[in-house]
Amino acid sequence: MSSPAQQWKQWLAENGPRLLLFARGWSNSRHDAEDLVQEAILRMWHHQAEKGAVPPDLPLVFSTIRFCGLNHHRSESRRRKREGSVIYLNDFQDVWLDPLLEEDEEAVVLREAVQNLSQKLREVVVMKFWGGLTFLQISETLAISPNTAASRYRYALEQLAHELRRVKEDRRHAN
Amino acid sequence: MQIDAIEAALSRLMPPALSEDCQFEIEAMLDELASAETVEIVETPPHSSRRWIMGSGIAAAAAGLLAIVPFLKTAPIQTTAIASTVSSGLVLVGELDRVESMTDEGWQDSDGSAMHAVRLNVVAENSLRDEETGIVMEVSEPREELLLTPITAF
Repeated sequence: MSSPAQQWKQWLAENGPRLLLFARGWSNSRHDAEDLVQEAILRMWHHQAEKGAVPPDLPLVFSTIRFCGLNHHRSESRRRKREGSVIYLNDFQDVWLDPLLEEDEEAVVLREAVQNLSQKLREVVVMKFWGGLTFLQISETLAISPNTAASRYRYALEQLAHELRRVKEDRRHAN
Repeated sequence: MQIDAIEAALSRLMPPALSEDCQFEIEAMLDELASAETVEIVETPPHSSRRWIMGSGIAAAAAGLLAIVPFLKTAPIQTTAIASTVSSGLVLVGELDRVESMTDEGWQDSDGSAMHAVRLNVVAENSLRDEETGIVMEVSEPREELLLTPITAF
């Protein structure tokens, strides 16, 4: 049987990308998102210590990332108030999602559309689609009803579809 | 566009992996966390009235203390270390080596070498928690130590 550290590393290899994607919604940069993932894993390690030190369930980690993200957001807001207006520049390579196939227009549009979803909708999509959580698990993570979670998911996908349609029509008119 | 179609389109997007640096940092953190929980309990030797220690970790600490011996003849000094350890149901939750008093005994001859001697009255206090009952026990072990430091400069 592998050691706890080995189990956690394997778990991280499997789930790191989806945790990073979720954390990205709570961070200003990819680097901050990675810090958030690390902080959540540290908290999870201590939390799981009394449960046999096994890797945690994903819904719990999503909740923890969200909690850490909220804390960072609060402290960041306070810091911004203190320091005045700050301009954050986006890193050119700082993409949330990688297209599996070639970088076609549809994939790029979709990626931007996901990033531009409201926080409420985006976190449901991320947890459902890339996290593989059920609506029940999402509802427990976000403290909402399963029906609300399902509605947000459906609404988010409708928005994404609308955005794709709009881009395709623009392209057709341009041609 | 149908929901199924948009899901199919989404499936072409994958979350990027953690950066190598981040992956490395987290794995190092996991190793560190895991090793902190598997430290073995080192059984302390029975009470000894005179214990000669040279070149050990405590000697290094004592070297620092020597500088303040003239000012701290009997002042209690504490050093602490925390370990979380599991062995036969007892978890070591705290370790404390308290120096109750120290006396400068001047120079001594040891195997033909001049040594500076300092006598310490030390109390080792370990906190052990019984995993089954949750009871925390304090185990105290007083001992006397004579620290000898080679004199290399006059």
